[in-house]
Amino acid sequence: MQEELEFIKKLLNPKTQNEAFKELLLEYQRPLYNHIRNIVLHHDDADDVLQNTFVKVFQYLKNFKGESKLFSWMYRIATNEALTFLNQKSKINRISSEELQNKTIDNLQADVFFDGNEIQLKLQKAIANLPQKQQLVFKMKYCEELKYEEISEILGTSVGALKASYHHAVKKIEAFVTAN
Amino acid sequence: MKEFKLENEPKIESGFKTPDHYFDHFSAKVLQQLPESEPKVISIFQKRKAVIMMVAALLVLALMIPIYTSISTTPKELDQTTLENYLAYQSSLNQYDLISELETEDIAKMQPVSSAEDKVIEDILTTDTDMQHLLIE
Repeated sequence: MQEELEFIKKLLNPKTQNEAFKELLLEYQRPLYNHIRNIVLHHDDADDVLQNTFVKVFQYLKNFKGESKLFSWMYRIATNEALTFLNQKSKINRISSEELQNKTIDNLQADVFFDGNEIQLKLQKAIANLPQKQQLVFKMKYCEELKYEEISEILGTSVGALKASYHHAVKKIEAFVTAN
Repeated sequence: MKEFKLENEPKIESGFKTPDHYFDHFSAKVLQQLPESEPKVISIFQKRKAVIMMVAALLVLALMIPIYTSISTTPKELDQTTLENYLAYQSSLNQYDLISELETEDIAKMQPVSSAEDKVIEDILTTDTDMQHLLIE
């Protein structure tokens, strides 16, 4: 915790800011990319959203109060950016979020940056049938292997509610894969 | 049909890939996009706001001086001597106009004065020899 406070000081100090931000980028670019990619699915979209996320992190650093961990604060920005991106994309295409997600999954097979097998593709389809909150919880718990406490900090939901959400998500996914 | 159980299966990976060396160049790409700290721009008006406000206040005060002096120099009531002088020399009012404005009480108050004046005139006429000559003539 003390280490993080020191690092935040470096990020806020104009003299050490650039070096500290490079460090931040190197540490978080992979986990945040995976988190965003799991939401938007395509690499190009994930790349755009990840860049926007880091630019926003840099812009809002001066407003970071240190009330939450830097890790959860950045994940929160990344999640919001990814969801906003999907909403905008569905508006531009004049289709609902669900339709957009199904269309994206259909196109995944043609994506050069996706080499999933049948079960991986089926899992994506099963996730797409879940409500948005359950999708997020399942992806963060199962795919990204985050702890419930971490997810709780990021999404601002209690651990109990997250466990219930994950349990429902798993049941629905199992039912979908069994049926298909 | 065999029931699918997530916990019985080996972990299903996402299957997502990234282009080669994607993360090697990513940080440089982001750093290029970061907004540079720009010097704070202060408009001329903002900078000289205090001076402009002071000049405006002084102008308003300067414009108020003639109004103030005209108000302060105008007496609220005319003093009696000025009024009498005006009525005697400047006004177009004649004696009859003045009398018509007087109340009966005012005329009654004036009686002793007029009788005193008569007495003075009588004394002058009897004592002044020149006047006696004039009267005889």
